[in-house]
Parts: sequence; structure tokens; C-alpha cells
Amino acid sequence: MSLLRMAGLAIVLVISLLFAVFVGDQGPWYFSWVIGTVMIILISGAGAILLDAQMDSSSEKEV
Amino acid sequence: MDLINPTVVDLSRFQFALTALYHFMFVPLTLGLTFMLAAMETVYVVTGRKIYKEMAQFWGKLFGINFAIGVATGITMEFEFGTNWSMYSRFFGDMFGTPLAIEGLMAFFMESTFVGLMFFGWDRLSKQAHLAVTYLVALGSNLSALWILIANASMNVPEGAHFDPDTMRMQFDSFVHVVFNPDAQSKFVHTSVAGYVSAALFVMGISAFYILRGQHKQFAARSFRMAALFGIISTVAVITLGDVLGRMDYEKQPTKIAAIEGLWHTSKPPYEPWILAALPDDAKQENHFEIGVPFVLTPLITHDFNTPITGLHELEDAAGPRIQSGIEAVSALRRYGETHQQADLDVFQAHEADMGFGFLATRHAPGQDVTTLSAEALPQVIEATKPDILPNVFVTFWAFRLMVFLALYFFALFAISSYVSLKNRLERNRLLLRLCLWSIPLPILATEFGWITAEAGRQPWTVFNRLPTFLSASTHSVSYMLFSLAGFAVLYSIFIAAELYLMFKFARLGPEAHDTPQTAPDHLHLGGAASTPAAAH
Repeated sequence: MSLLRMAGLAIVLVISLLFAVFVGDQGPWYFSWVIGTVMIILISGAGAILLDAQMDSSSEKEV
Repeated sequence: MDLINPTVVDLSRFQFALTALYHFMFVPLTLGLTFMLAAMETVYVVTGRKIYKEMAQFWGKLFGINFAIGVATGITMEFEFGTNWSMYSRFFGDMFGTPLAIEGLMAFFMESTFVGLMFFGWDRLSKQAHLAVTYLVALGSNLSALWILIANASMNVPEGAHFDPDTMRMQFDSFVHVVFNPDAQSKFVHTSVAGYVSAALFVMGISAFYILRGQHKQFAARSFRMAALFGIISTVAVITLGDVLGRMDYEKQPTKIAAIEGLWHTSKPPYEPWILAALPDDAKQENHFEIGVPFVLTPLITHDFNTPITGLHELEDAAGPRIQSGIEAVSALRRYGETHQQADLDVFQAHEADMGFGFLATRHAPGQDVTTLSAEALPQVIEATKPDILPNVFVTFWAFRLMVFLALYFFALFAISSYVSLKNRLERNRLLLRLCLWSIPLPILATEFGWITAEAGRQPWTVFNRLPTFLSASTHSVSYMLFSLAGFAVLYSIFIAAELYLMFKFARLGPEAHDTPQTAPDHLHLGGAASTPAAAH
């Protein structure tokens, strides 16, 4: 199962690299949109998880 | 050549502007909310905390209302190209139709299918599969926008196509060139990310409303935090990407960039100020007053300190030879259509790049026919045509400024909101919360101003430098146009009223009233002033 997962991730990695090489060359702003959107989602999600951590470690109920 | 009634052209333009601006009230929220939902659901899948599922479901319901009305208002626009802009469709249909058809497939097949799965699949799909569906909805809605913007960009910067003198229409050379048109790229990223800003302020504003009322505090605090961070990065991106779009206009549409900057005369680098406010007078071709910041315009537009930016007067003067060359192109095209002689085709091809300027001159030629112009009449027609190459400076100038001023306001608002949220001090900053609430419509307004800048600045062309707007409309009667315009205005106003009613209703009800198919245990329920951090688990 873990071998299959590894193989799956490897395929995703190869596709991502091909995408980066091709689209990064032909369509740099399309590529920046993909990277930027992923970054925006991750930072936004990290902010929420940080809030959970802040709430868990604090006795204050203020938001 | 009989010209289309100018009143019909103006009414066609007004109708398209009206329907497009109505439609675009819904689009930005769809573009941005889908990725916000994906972000919330990602946190749910990663952490397993049900509050994030409730968030995705509640904001998803508001997204659903917006999505349905957005699709309905968009469909009519696709038909308008055929009904009101048949000359344009005849000339440019090959180029415009393909991306439009792909957009239809994206919107109706991919997006709609996965939207159904997203709404009704919470109990039927695994967490991971549902998350994948949500991402596909986000991707589908943004790819829909991509194809529309590719179509729009091909009108602004017609690359990957040529004019065929036998069929009298623009034809595809390269699909890849059309898709990767630099104008399409910069337009798409700028527009899509502007949608993220709209969605972030929408979520932040409604969350602020709950915090102000002391309701659903844990839910609202998390939504606010995610939206603030989503918004601050998006705002930085939308400003940066706006600069990219400005560079594109500087290179490909100099009249638009000069109109945006209210630049009547070629700039004097490096001192030339960036005009903050002015009163451009299109009739007198001057600004009545100006307040500017010196040394800013040149680096802002050209990214260096030495390159002058051509002003509107100089662009107008430079159009003279192109108008004359265009008249020769149109005359050769007419002859070629009658004789099919290679010599006429050679003359046409020598002047083909200026063909649009020849079409532009038809309005001023005796009998609206530039092919029979006498040598005496030619200079007069050229002089009369030259001012036509300029867009409306007042509208373009102010639409751009209002968009920019709003973007800077969003940056400040998101920056302060992110800081206050990260410090968990939202409840103490009631003024900020009120500001967030009342700012909800502003990003929509900013995107509307953006479109007015782009489309008013493109005039007098539907296909830049190829086909003038006054030759693009259909030959309807004025009464037909007035009747259909009134119909659209009434119908779309009903749509807006329905959207606002439903949005207000469900936003006021809040997440507690959300009909969750898989009800969380009692201790997981959100909300009310009594909610505690533990309730989020």
C-alpha cells in the first residue's frame, strides 16, 4: 500500500515538474497563478490552525 | 456602405455594458469563494475539527446562491454576441467562438456537475473525495473565467490570427498563441485574484457582523482569520498583477494607457508626475486641474526612469499615416473582392496592418465609402478621423483611479484585520469590524471599475486596431433595442433583489440555522455568545 502511495506521489511529482517546465516557459503568469493560489490557501489554512493552537493554549475566550 | 444607426450602436453598447456589469457583480464571489471553501475544507480534512466542515457548508450555501444567479446572468451575454453584435461575430466569430464554446463546456459540464457533488456529496463521499470535488469546483469556475478572458484578450491583442480577404473574417493561426496570449495571461491572473479579494472581504465582513453581535464567535473568528490572511495576500497579488496588466497595455494599447493616465502630451521623464486627481476634458483635450506626485509616472509605467510615454495628442498625430494606409487597404480589399487579381491582393497585404484605420475613416467619408475618396477629400477625412482613435479619457481616467484607490484601501484593511485577528483582539476593535462589514460591496465595485477601465479604454475598437465598434453591431431598430434593454434591466434587477434577499436572509440566520445533513454531536455545535474554544473540537 505504501509502495502504491509512493508511486502515486512520484507520478504527481513528475506531472508537476512537467507542468512547471512547460507552463512556466509558455505561460509564466498562469504558472504564478497556480503557485500563488496554493500559497494563499495554505497560509489561510495555517492561520486557522494557528488560531486553534492559540485557543487551546489560552484560557482567554476573547476572539 | 450604409452605416449602422449610431443610436443603435450606442444602445447595443449600453446594453452589453449593463448586462456585463450586472453579471460581474456575481462572478468575483464565485471565483474567490470556491477557493476559500477549499481552504476551509482542507483544514477540516487535515485537523478533523468539525467547525471547519460547518464553515465550508455555511459559506458554501452563500456561494450556491451567488453561483446560481451568476450563471443565469451570464448565459444571456453569450447570446448577445449573436443578437446585438452580429457584424462583430461575422468578422471575429472564429476567434471568439472557440474559447467561448470551451467556457460553456467548463461552466455547464465540469463546474455544474461538481457543484452538485459538492452540495449533495457530504454524506455520500469520503472526506478526501469531497475535498477533491471542492477543488474541482474551484478550478472549474476559475477555468471558466480563463476562457472568457482568453476570448476578451484576443479582442484586445489579436494574436494567433490573421484576416482572410476571401472570407472577410479573422481566422485562427495558432490555438496555442491564443491561449498563451500575454494579455490573456495577465488579465486572467488579475481578474481571478480580484475575485479572491472580493470573497475574502465578503467572508470577513459577515464574520465581523457575527462578532459585533456576539454570535457564533468561534465560527466567526476562524472565518475572519482565514479571510483576512486570504485577503491580504490576494490584495498584494492583485496590485502586483495589475502592474503586469498595465505593462501589457503600455506595450500593446498605448491609447488606453495614455487615457488611464490623463496624459495629453508625451511625458517628460523622470519628473513627470503621476496624476492623483484631475478633471480631463475630452472636448478641449486637456486636464482642467491636476494634483500629482512627481517622479512616479515614468517608473510606474515603463519600469525605468528615462523612457517617455507617448501622449494622446502625439498618438493622434501618429494615426494620420495609418488612416491613409488603412484607406488604401480597404480600397484594395474592395477591388480584390470584385476582381480577385493578385495585384490588388498584394496592395491589400502591404497595408493590411492598418485596415482597421480605414474602416474607422468610413464614418467621415462622403457616402460612408472610403474607396471612392477624391485626392482633395482625403486629407479632410484623415483629419476628421484622427480624434476617433482616442477613448473617453474622463471615464477611463477615473474608473482606473477609483479601482486603484479601493485596492489600496483593501490592502490597509486586510493588513490591520490580519494583525488584529492574529492578536485575538477582534472584539476590542469594533470600529474595524464595522468597517469590514460596510466594505463588503467595495471589491465588487472595484472589479466593475476595472472592467470599465479595460473596455472604455479599448474604444473605438471591438477588435483592437482591426474592427471599429460602430461597424460591429447588428442592424436592429431603436425600438427593438430599447425594449430589450428595458427587459434586461428589469430582469437583472429582479435577480439582484433575489440575491440580496437570500444573502441577507441566510447570513442573518447564521451557521446555527444551517441545515447540516450530518449533524454534529451537541458539544460540537457552534455559536451563540456562550460558545467556547472547546466547542470547536
